[in-house]
Amino acid sequence: MTDNNTHSADDESFETDGGVSDVEREKQIDYLDVEINLLKPATPFMRDHNRIILRGFAIWAVIVFGPITLTRLFPGVMTTTMPVLGFPFHYFLIAVGAPGGALLLSVWYVRKRDEIDEKYDIEQIAATDLERTDTGSQEPAATDGGLDQ
Amino acid sequence: MSGLGLAAIDGLAATGDALAALQVDVTPLQADEELLPEGLNIGFKPAPAIIVIAMMGLFLATGVFYKVADTADMWVAGRSIGNVENGMAIGANWMSAASYLGMAALIALSGVYGLAFVVGWTTGYFVLLIFLAAQMRRFGKYTAPDFVGDRFNSDAARAIAAITTFLIGFVYALGQARGMGLVGLYILGDPGIPGMSGYQGMMVIFMVITIVYLALSGMLGATKTMVIQYVILISAFLIGLLVTGYVSGYSTVLPQLEYGQLIGELSAEFSEPFAGGSYYLWIATAFSLIFGTCGLPHVLVRFYTVENERIARWSCTWGLFFICLLYLSAPAYAAFGTDLYSSEVGPAYGDPGMSAEAGDVIVVLATQLAGLPTWLVGFVAAGGIAAAIATTAGLFIAGSSAISHDIYANIINEDATQQQQVLVGRLSIIALGVLTIIFALDPTAPIAALVSFAFSLAAIVLFPMFFLGLWWENTNRPGALAGMISGLIVWLIPMFNEGHFGPGFDIEFLATWMPAIGSGLIGVPIVFAITIAVSLVTDEPPLETKQMVRQCHSPEPMPKDKTAADVVAERNGDGPTPADD
Repeated sequence: MTDNNTHSADDESFETDGGVSDVEREKQIDYLDVEINLLKPATPFMRDHNRIILRGFAIWAVIVFGPITLTRLFPGVMTTTMPVLGFPFHYFLIAVGAPGGALLLSVWYVRKRDEIDEKYDIEQIAATDLERTDTGSQEPAATDGGLDQ
Repeated sequence: MSGLGLAAIDGLAATGDALAALQVDVTPLQADEELLPEGLNIGFKPAPAIIVIAMMGLFLATGVFYKVADTADMWVAGRSIGNVENGMAIGANWMSAASYLGMAALIALSGVYGLAFVVGWTTGYFVLLIFLAAQMRRFGKYTAPDFVGDRFNSDAARAIAAITTFLIGFVYALGQARGMGLVGLYILGDPGIPGMSGYQGMMVIFMVITIVYLALSGMLGATKTMVIQYVILISAFLIGLLVTGYVSGYSTVLPQLEYGQLIGELSAEFSEPFAGGSYYLWIATAFSLIFGTCGLPHVLVRFYTVENERIARWSCTWGLFFICLLYLSAPAYAAFGTDLYSSEVGPAYGDPGMSAEAGDVIVVLATQLAGLPTWLVGFVAAGGIAAAIATTAGLFIAGSSAISHDIYANIINEDATQQQQVLVGRLSIIALGVLTIIFALDPTAPIAALVSFAFSLAAIVLFPMFFLGLWWENTNRPGALAGMISGLIVWLIPMFNEGHFGPGFDIEFLATWMPAIGSGLIGVPIVFAITIAVSLVTDEPPLETKQMVRQCHSPEPMPKDKTAADVVAERNGDGPTPADD
């Protein structure tokens, strides 16, 4: 089983010394041969990645639907006016907590995901390393296909 | 009191009392009756008019400057846009009149129920980020229907997705047109087009401007313009809020947190948990908006334009940040506007209370009632127009590319030249525009509600295809077709029931448990179940298709000009190797 390097510049060779660390195992996997199923991650990388995804999703669900549900169950407690800010508590949790919470979660996720990339030596392709086949980041000249009005 | 023939909202009001605050009656619109926001100073004002015209000129100049006829450029801007820039473009694309005007309106009129829109339209980005953004980028296709068509190897699926994209563009644009018309009244007054009310004349004028602008610029022009548009609209929104809060003595430097102290002084309706809508309605609405966000073609297309997956992820996060700037401020506008309205115009709640039209311009109304100079109010109003135009541009691009690229070039005429494609694309933009104008002459609901119908549609029909298509390789053609067709039917039921397309059936039970505004809560699970069940009982998709899905999840970076399908083809060209488990 060979490493699938159809599109990476450097041919990674790896030693199969019986070491089965996640990173080693990951390098021997050809993704075109693993089954994709959210509930059954097939590779170490996907297992790590899925773990954050699902954890993030669970926290997200609580942040989004928790406040309104609590307000439905305990209206008295939830509508207490907050000290200093003056917000009714439920209002603050919904109007500020949910959007802010989702933003913080997003930052947490992209950082975690970057960490996983680091763990598995995944290097993103930078714009400058690529041979451009398109107009790239330079401003393209406006081409007129004869449809001038 | 508005005279919108709104059986739908009425049905809701009768049961969940959901949008009762919107003060709707069922008298049909009289020819001489108008959509007029009370309290708004209507009439031609030179300074705001100059600001709007200058802004439109700027957009058009950008559009003309980047005029393109080459389709590769027309659709995804050569995939070359960075983090923050793309985040801003996401923001401008996203923040339509519904965000800028409609949301504050609903918060003012329906209190805590209105917050379902704040939550739904922000938190959905996290779901988009973890489940779809990077995978979509790896898939590397131009449009949402492209994804559906290639993933499920079916032209029928591609056509359904394209039609859905077109429908989303149209329904969504209705809200934008209503916003442009109402805000235009403040700036230019009644244009006096014979046979049309002031609102209608204004709406038509701005829609025509939007269409002309779009016909001249492709996506590239639009992307560059979007960054400018975002900057303009966020400055207008925030400066307007700061000055309004400061002048009226509500707030100093952080109105986003300081408006809390005002809530206690407002009528109970503003913050009472279920005064504006039931718990069920809140959940249904937020759910629909969240998953609709993840199914909107014009949002997803932004992820095809980036360099690599990491940038796709980060620009999604930046996008959410730029969106939150506005969304955390909208409730403050609503609070200030409600208070100013009560003291200057009349009681905001009760009968007659604030009309849906006044609500829809509350952002502009708040700045006007606070006594800000005309040019500054005009600047805020211009921001609303910019928001509407920016989003309409994105929608029409997505809708027209669905027709010209997915249906025309892929199905009808496979030998179409680029020129023919561009021509069909432009014709479909005009078709979308004309349709929108006709239906927006007498809109059946407030801005935010109109827009949420499009979200329900995206959530029910497209989101399950994207999600299952990327996360479960055995999802197959029959499953997708069954899911999308039943999804369309499920979405149409409440739309017809509530009378948004013709006279309504007015079935109360349905309006309560499956409101058009939140039909995703029922529709999404149904479509998921149907798609999965049909996929299980029919043959698995071919190996190439599965490999394409696998390629979307491989951590191995992919160059920009490659699609998942290319990688699979290359690999199979070398002779497929047997899978060893």
